[in-house]
Amino acid sequence: MRTSLSILNKQFKDSLNNLPTLMIIMIYPIVAFIMIIAMRGEEFAGRMFISMFATMHCCFAPATTASNIISEEKEKGTLRSLIMSGVSRINYLVSISLFVILASMLTGSTFLLMDQFDCEYAFKFLSAMFLGAVTSTLLGLCIGINSKNTAAANGMAVPVGLTISLIPMLAQFNDGIAKVSKLLYSGRISLILGDGGNVSWDTAAVIGAYLVLFSVILVFLFKKKGLEQG
Amino acid sequence: MKAVINLKNVTCSFGSKQVLSGISLEIRHKEIFGMLGPSGAGKTTLINILTGQLPYGGEARIFDTECARIGHDVYRDIGAVLDKCGLYERLSCMDNMLLFARIHNVPRIAISDVINKVGLKGSERIKVGKFSKGMKQRLQLACAVLHKPKLLFLDEPTSGLDPSTAAEIHSLMRELRENGTTIFLTTHNMDEAYRMCDRVALLNEGIIAECGSPYEICRKYCTQSEFIIVTSDNEKISLPNSPESAGKAAELILGGKIRTIHSAEPDLGTVFLKLTGRKLTK
Ligand SMILES: Nc1ncnc2c1ncn2[C@@H]1O[C@H](COP(=O)(O)OP(=O)(O)OP(=O)(O)O)[C@@H](O)[C@H]1O
Ligand SMILES: [Mg+2]
Repeated sequence: MRTSLSILNKQFKDSLNNLPTLMIIMIYPIVAFIMIIAMRGEEFAGRMFISMFATMHCCFAPATTASNIISEEKEKGTLRSLIMSGVSRINYLVSISLFVILASMLTGSTFLLMDQFDCEYAFKFLSAMFLGAVTSTLLGLCIGINSKNTAAANGMAVPVGLTISLIPMLAQFNDGIAKVSKLLYSGRISLILGDGGNVSWDTAAVIGAYLVLFSVILVFLFKKKGLEQG
Repeated sequence: MKAVINLKNVTCSFGSKQVLSGISLEIRHKEIFGMLGPSGAGKTTLINILTGQLPYGGEARIFDTECARIGHDVYRDIGAVLDKCGLYERLSCMDNMLLFARIHNVPRIAISDVINKVGLKGSERIKVGKFSKGMKQRLQLACAVLHKPKLLFLDEPTSGLDPSTAAEIHSLMRELRENGTTIFLTTHNMDEAYRMCDRVALLNEGIIAECGSPYEICRKYCTQSEFIIVTSDNEKISLPNSPESAGKAAELILGGKIRTIHSAEPDLGTVFLKLTGRKLTK
């Protein structure tokens, strides 16, 4: 517990000093805010925009941030310093995941300020984003564990993250893409966010399947490669 | 007292290249042990094995735990300053120290004491990214000894440091040893090895070519029986250990012509040069 809090604390300080990470965590809420102000009064604006950007935020930011933090710690040797100080590898992964989820939820909750949400919808909205953030964090951990350095991690996380987060948006304009989008957890998160926070059975099943899939891959990679190798 | 580090026939290879071929050693409690050897001899490799970071053959134990199975509980008793270990460059010196202090559950007051000892007082608020190489090295040492580890690994702790900082680090090492820390260090600095280490081992071509106290090793390789006199005119005279030399020496003493008298056993550098047939420096 003490160790987790220290890692969480250091990660907040470190990320506040790291412009690229800050950008990733804040970019979608900021862009959404600007767009909504710019398009105020037009019919297209509002909820739809918010749920679109919230989907992109909760699917892109955690995956890229998690993989970036882990691979950078490997590359710089700070991960080794932590492990040599007696931090267990699992404790480290849990702490970094906590940070990533917490940070993306913190910035993500600003979406609620952009429109009037009633309490129930706000709760459902945050819960859906949380679900997306957890799934994406697992994906980011997998990429981070599998990469030797930040270049390799970003080379993987950015395209994967962009694809996952952009397809639900493009699905609004194209039926073919909409079908693909329904197969992605991000597409399903987008559906929940757009549908007043209501979850259908098949949506729950798809998201659950991704959670299980990423967890299995994570355990496999962790067992096979450990944490420091990549 | 049980040995802190126990190696039996330890081997290690990278691909077809055998780096260590049968190392056996025992390192005792509160000992400062120096591992010497030419560049590429496998000193860092040995530290990596001992800290559980490399697979190996044979038996390697620290505190009676097989090195391949070291867990985070054993790491709590270890400190290490290694090339591969890094610091958080975007955080200040103090924030780095605070992180490790919290992990080790060390009170905040202990930090300033260690910072003073490694000579980083006044630099606490500077971001580590702006530190010089030597400052980073000292901060690493500070983080590694904050919790007064039972066993400390130092890979070339004073390389690249100026003599006065090196001396500060040496006194910190002595103090740690007095408080019960066993220190395993590697160095290319023969003078450091001679003055600091209770015992040293010379690693050459994958085996330990010599092991013992620096003084004993030097004495063992002293083949000539002679002594050296430097006269007041700065003339250097080597005299064999014989009755005739006594007369000559007495004459110089009586004439008040002696500046210094030296024994003529080889220094560590000379011994190791002889054993390896190579220079020890990089
Ligand atoms: N990861 C690795 N993969 C392949 N070979 C390696 C690896 N690490 C070390 N070696 C080889 O093992 C040998 C010993 O390396 P090591 O770093 O232990 O030497 P050293 O005694 O510490 O040298 P120095 O005094 O220069 O630090 C070298 O020949 C090196 O090339
Ligand atoms: Mg080395």
